[in-house]
Amino acid sequence: MSSTPIFVESSRALPLVSAVVAFRSGAGHDPAGREGLARITARMLRRGAEGYTAARIEETTDSLGGELSVDVGFSASSVHLEVIKRSLDPFAGLGATVLSRPTFEVRELERLLREAEAEIIESQDLDQVLCSRAFRRTLFTSHPYGRPSEGTVRTLRTITGDDVRAFYRQHYTRRNAVVAISGDVDQHEAQDLVARILADLPEGTPATDPIPPPLQRPGRHLVFVDKPERTQAQLIVGSLGTDAHDADHVPLLIANTVLGGTFSSRLMQEIRVKRGWSYGAYSHVSYDRHRDAFSVGSSPAANDASACLKLTLEMLQAFIERGVTEDEFEFAKRYLIRSHAFDIDTARKRVHQSLVEALLDMPVGYHESYVARLEAATLAEANAAIHTRLSFDNLVLSVVGTHADIGQAIQDVIPGLSSVEVLPPGFDQM
Amino acid sequence: MQEAALREPSPAGRGEAIQPMLETLNQGSTPLSRITHDASIDFGPSLRVERFLLGNGLRVLILEDHHAPVISLQTWFGVGSRHEVRGKTGLAHLFEHLMFGETENVPPGVFDRTLEEAGAETNAATSLDWTFYHTNLPREALESALRLEAERMTRLILRDPQVASEKEVVSNERRQRVDDDVDGAVNELLYKEAFREHAYGWPTIGWMEDISAFNTADCLDFYRAYYAPNNAILVIVGDTTCAHALRLIQQHYGARAPSVIPVEDVRPEPRQVDERQVTVKKPTVTHKLAIGYKSPALGDFDHAPLVLLNEILFCGRSSRVHRALVQEQEIVSEVRGWVGSFRDEGLYDLYLAARGERTSAEVLEALDVLLDQVRREPVLPSELDRAKARLELSLLQGMETTSGKAEQIGFYETVLGDPGALFQRLAAYQRVTLGDLLRVARRYLLPSTRTVVHVAPSGELPPDEGEEDDDDDGDNDAQPGADGADGADGDGDGDDGDDGDDALTAEEQIH
Repeated sequence: MSSTPIFVESSRALPLVSAVVAFRSGAGHDPAGREGLARITARMLRRGAEGYTAARIEETTDSLGGELSVDVGFSASSVHLEVIKRSLDPFAGLGATVLSRPTFEVRELERLLREAEAEIIESQDLDQVLCSRAFRRTLFTSHPYGRPSEGTVRTLRTITGDDVRAFYRQHYTRRNAVVAISGDVDQHEAQDLVARILADLPEGTPATDPIPPPLQRPGRHLVFVDKPERTQAQLIVGSLGTDAHDADHVPLLIANTVLGGTFSSRLMQEIRVKRGWSYGAYSHVSYDRHRDAFSVGSSPAANDASACLKLTLEMLQAFIERGVTEDEFEFAKRYLIRSHAFDIDTARKRVHQSLVEALLDMPVGYHESYVARLEAATLAEANAAIHTRLSFDNLVLSVVGTHADIGQAIQDVIPGLSSVEVLPPGFDQM
Repeated sequence: MQEAALREPSPAGRGEAIQPMLETLNQGSTPLSRITHDASIDFGPSLRVERFLLGNGLRVLILEDHHAPVISLQTWFGVGSRHEVRGKTGLAHLFEHLMFGETENVPPGVFDRTLEEAGAETNAATSLDWTFYHTNLPREALESALRLEAERMTRLILRDPQVASEKEVVSNERRQRVDDDVDGAVNELLYKEAFREHAYGWPTIGWMEDISAFNTADCLDFYRAYYAPNNAILVIVGDTTCAHALRLIQQHYGARAPSVIPVEDVRPEPRQVDERQVTVKKPTVTHKLAIGYKSPALGDFDHAPLVLLNEILFCGRSSRVHRALVQEQEIVSEVRGWVGSFRDEGLYDLYLAARGERTSAEVLEALDVLLDQVRREPVLPSELDRAKARLELSLLQGMETTSGKAEQIGFYETVLGDPGALFQRLAAYQRVTLGDLLRVARRYLLPSTRTVVHVAPSGELPPDEGEEDDDDDGDNDAQPGADGADGADGDGDGDDGDDGDDALTAEEQIH
């Protein structure tokens, strides 16, 4: 089993054992026109395996005090297994069967595809989800990071049993896997557990990453998702952000904390505390195997939406042009260093860090050296990182609201717009 | 890193060490700051929570937990939306926001800034029966966190601009959680229709017109009435010792005087004897159905069996309703069920999202077949066993962090007066029989005590329907009534699991 990286964090705190079997392949591997395939493949693992119908998998899981779930991102597909310690042995057997001998029965696949389709339609009710999807679609355009990992109604309808089996055969292999075990097991038990779960998977080869680095879209682009009867708007403004390999990665994280990473941050103070315009106001820099998005978000009342967006843009411009102050920088550093205790206060969190590091090809020792790199970062590096990575000229602005009520006002506060797109709530269904 | 355990004895559980510690702490204390040890209470198979009382009435619960160098500090106040009156709904929640403001010795913004600089995370939540404030902090920050918490308990300063600004924030929170959110709006309507007398009928976040009308005097009156050490429970779980924590508590809370807490004025809900049905239109893509059956209070003997019955019906892909309506009949895309965990009788609330063109009436008809079945005949022993195992797993998962333990301790102490009640519930689940399930199904799943909200996509109903059209009303006496708020268990492959009972239903995320 040496071909599979294995991370173990033992803890006797609770009689629980958790295993994450992750594969270095996700929605980024979906063929064009078959978006949703990676997710459907992972979900099909629960829909039947040798000796188990879908119902029996669920019943066995529940009766053992276990939990079996799957998660699919752009770069990875993960199977999560968790169980009360007394049932570890039979649950490991179930896990091995589900992972290694899925049946991919046609009727179950058809049923799952209909379920997934209904879920996509249902998600139109979630304004923040719509705003985020529209933002990513407009920022990344045709890049895989801009595609919905759950697929669309149209792409789901193209997925066949052969597609699922082929995806499974290619990606669910030992050499493409990374495993994290935490909880009430020692190293020896954990190794045995992994050996058992992976025993019947083929050796395979590590999947190559088909996703190219995303490119910043030039210009300012507004995408407006038009929903009726909105009393509130959802706003996201952003661009490309950071890559974990960037030399200025950690300085940018610190700078982002100043802008919108805490309750004391600039955005929260100006938008919420001083003006009461939004319940939340934040900024994020997320990362995947490649550079991902930087985003600023808020949820003002419809009447305040254009003023809130105007203020957000002014703050963003000031942030990009003038950077952060020494006081702000030192405060954010102290916050990040001291709150790091909560990144590692459980075995599950600690082992997850190792898992993500391996899965996303992050720099070796990323998490171990994180605090030291925070301590070493300087104000000049943070301000240089802002200048290097962010540009006020290149922004995507995503809004969910009632266009007839606020559409023009929103457009009026964005100088130099390169494009405007108004979409219906079901924009990503087809 | 070391990990302690639910299995390891807490050092503070060794009672013999407590009295000498208190003798030392109480040297030179005042009547208000004098500490007494009230009880050592089992928390799981081997941990013990120590309960102490300060002379001013403050209850202190400490669980030493040396997993990691962190501490969870929580303050639970015995005030929630049940203590409000009509016309002033949402005051407990608005006030919770205001508690992060200025105090006599702490300028505006310094509360958050001080804790963030120490690496702490702080937030709060308000529900029907309680309000709680929580801070997760590196162990070095305990003293400054206690100083700030004690300060705001009795020395808050409220000014018009802050109150006005916070009302705007709460209005926006309401738009986000209720007005522009189908789930939130339907849940609010369900409780409004189900409870016509009891305070559980109004939303914790408050009606928008009430939020708009609050003034600073309202907030000050509320503060003086309910924020005092004798209406609070301090919970500390983490990498500290009883002696250290108590010394700090004595220092920072010992001079705070108790106050006279108003007598609770909750009106029992008259018994519901007829089904209530309401139909509304919402800008949504599919029909929805929300149902609330009157359900027992958290402390009622029937609560645990009803939670198990809910597991069997609604929780996970092997549950009856999911299997029948999502997988086999394919008429809904989402099902959830949750038994309210409140001090008074509440709602067993159910939520189903129809699929495609299916109507809520069709969904209700199909659901009724399944509910009728559990009233007529016992469920299978294997179903009951699965439900018990699911709840046990859920309980264990909730114990992973210091804040998870602190929440359970604070919640059960506040609502039931027993910080270890979670584990008694686990034992109660194990004792539940098939007959118990049959009994609670027959007692609580009665059409005559349910409220049904049908949601149709906007534009689908003829103009004479819609907009909260009650029919088949019915009031009349009894079943002291209950509560409301979210709940759930969906499933879906991405995130199956969880659910369970002890949901700490709350408004609030960012203060």
